Amino acid sequence: MKIRKFALLAAIVGVCLLLLTLQTRGYGATARDLLALVTTPIQASVSRAHRAAFGAWDTYRDWKNVRAENHRLRDENQQLRVEALRVGETEDENRRLRHLLALQQRLPLTTLSGEIIARDWGGWIRSLTVNRGRGDHVPRLTAVISPDGLIGRIVDVRSGVSIVQVLTDPASTVGAHVVRTRTPGIVEGDARGTLRFKYMARDGAGIQIGDALVTSGQGGLFPRGIPIGRVRAVDERGPALFYYAALDPAVDFARVDEVLLVTGDTRHDLAAHFPTGG
Amino acid sequence: MRALLALTVFGGGVAHATLAPALGIHGVTPDLPLIVVVLLALRQGPEFGCVAGFAAGLLQDATGGGLIGVQALTKAVIGFAMGAAGSRLAVTQPLVQVPGLVLLTVAEGLARFALLKIFHFPATFGDVMLYVVLPQALYNGFLGAALVVALTCVESLRARAA
Repeated sequence: MKIRKFALLAAIVGVCLLLLTLQTRGYGATARDLLALVTTPIQASVSRAHRAAFGAWDTYRDWKNVRAENHRLRDENQQLRVEALRVGETEDENRRLRHLLALQQRLPLTTLSGEIIARDWGGWIRSLTVNRGRGDHVPRLTAVISPDGLIGRIVDVRSGVSIVQVLTDPASTVGAHVVRTRTPGIVEGDARGTLRFKYMARDGAGIQIGDALVTSGQGGLFPRGIPIGRVRAVDERGPALFYYAALDPAVDFARVDEVLLVTGDTRHDLAAHFPTGG
Repeated sequence: MRALLALTVFGGGVAHATLAPALGIHGVTPDLPLIVVVLLALRQGPEFGCVAGFAAGLLQDATGGGLIGVQALTKAVIGFAMGAAGSRLAVTQPLVQVPGLVLLTVAEGLARFALLKIFHFPATFGDVMLYVVLPQALYNGFLGAALVVALTCVESLRARAA
């Protein structure tokens, strides 16, 4: 048994030495050709296996890289979107505050700026909550304005906050007149959240759609000349004593965020400070 | 036996052609056929080790472009020696595997160098040992040990399942 083992080893060593000797004596080409007959198919298989294995591996790696990159880009995209929203929001706020500051500086009134922190839009009541209250010495019935026009009046002053009754509140009434015709009347809110202008028929024959309305200043509560809205439709009821005109408010109450509270003397005509175009 | 031999030679060749370039570190690649021959010779004995070493070495010689028979001879001798000594070695210990494979690779390198010198190999001994044999020997040692550990784990799992 042991002899067989060593015989095998000796045979293999002999074959190898023979192969080497043949090659050095110039018979290498024949030996190689013979061996190539056996090894070429194996080499081809090895090469195919090599290409297949590495091709699959490379594809997998590429797919993995693309997937990881996709995830990274998605996250980055998400972050950039949030960032863009934040920047847009800041720019928007900046623009609004600049408008408000410009208005505050050009008005011949004592005003206090405030921020809207809550809204009650239920229908029964239409009000805004502004972050100025008793501590800021805000008197009740203070007029609240924005760069676009009149918002309403303070109806309740609390600690730290005040409640603003918006023009569209069903209980709101403001003295107003049409800029073009000087027709006087009262702007009222209603439960639908719209504004209407109530005026005497004999005075308002010439009111047209698109006419601008401003505060009349009567009663001393609101300064004169603050934009309220524009006529959207006129409801003429024949020989009635009063006519009504539906108005589009000058201020978008749902979107207003910063306001001015008119805390000082209100006996001023502000028509020159607001662009009414009417 | 024949199927195992064919698988050994072919598997070693495929692994050497596919994995070795990918496993290369600074140009040093492991000699996977040598590791496979050694591992199988330890389990199957000297005859198997000798024939497997001869076949694997011949395939490497043929694909490598050098003198045919050099690696066939060295690997056949290594396979035979490891098969004969297998029963006396505690090869399950990594502390034996790593230096064992390093020494075997160095021995194979020395034998190959000696054979090639007979046939007027031009490179110097120092360069071959420093830049080829020793780095590959170290690599073979660690890779072979990892393979032994993996095989032991697979075998223990199989035994547990049985």
